[in-house]
Amino acid sequence: MSSLFSSMDVSASGMSAERTRAEILVENLANADTTRTAEGGPYKRKDVVFQSGEVGSSFSTILGDQMEQGGTGVQVSQVITDPRPPDMRYMPGHPDADKDGFVAFPRVDPAEDMVDLLGTSRSYQANVAAVSAIKDMIQRSIDLFR
Amino acid sequence: MLDGIGGDIENYMTLLSAREKVVASNIANADTPGYQTEDVDFSSMLDSATGEAESPKVVHPAGLRVKNDGNNVDLDREARLLAENALRFNVASNLLRSQLQNIKTALQDGGQS
Repeated sequence: MSSLFSSMDVSASGMSAERTRAEILVENLANADTTRTAEGGPYKRKDVVFQSGEVGSSFSTILGDQMEQGGTGVQVSQVITDPRPPDMRYMPGHPDADKDGFVAFPRVDPAEDMVDLLGTSRSYQANVAAVSAIKDMIQRSIDLFR
Repeated sequence: MLDGIGGDIENYMTLLSAREKVVASNIANADTPGYQTEDVDFSSMLDSATGEAESPKVVHPAGLRVKNDGNNVDLDREARLLAENALRFNVASNLLRSQLQNIKTALQDGGQS
């Protein structure tokens, strides 16, 4: 039974990681044409790195989980910036243009980010399906009391 | 009385919930680079299910397609296992419930006559 509750932690970690990834992807799409940032220069495309690892609420840790083997959650270990050089466009009238009239635009390909966003959404749905299956199993166990 | 019948079913349900956790973890790690699909050694655990429910052995199933990032999670496989687990758990919990119902009936009839 406690194994079922910790399974929910695992699925929740998956949902949280996918949500973070979706946030980063929409940030990329929103800033596809941003030429000014706080660090200076054009916006740089970001991406997340997923890493599997132990999850557990403090509650289940205190409870002492017997089913310690197997079942690792996922976390966003770091957010990386795309090292590709900016997209130089010839716009002599632009205030951010260099002396040759080129403006550095972020190297964001909307198609790339949209496809990743679709994948993120599917993965999120898969985790939700897992949560509802686990919830059903817990409910079945509770029904034994009736 | 209860240990003989209900005990086996209880071990089976514990095994199923351990497997559910592994499946949930595979789904959560579907996009993690280098993650290897895990599974509990279900059939061998099932053969000895009448024994003690020790912590199940975790194995890496073979024959799964490895993607470019070293990840080999097959979402279709995990979805099937999720459904299979739910059905197995359903059967087990209904069995256990009917066992408990039988004992309850026996107790009540004993009181009346």
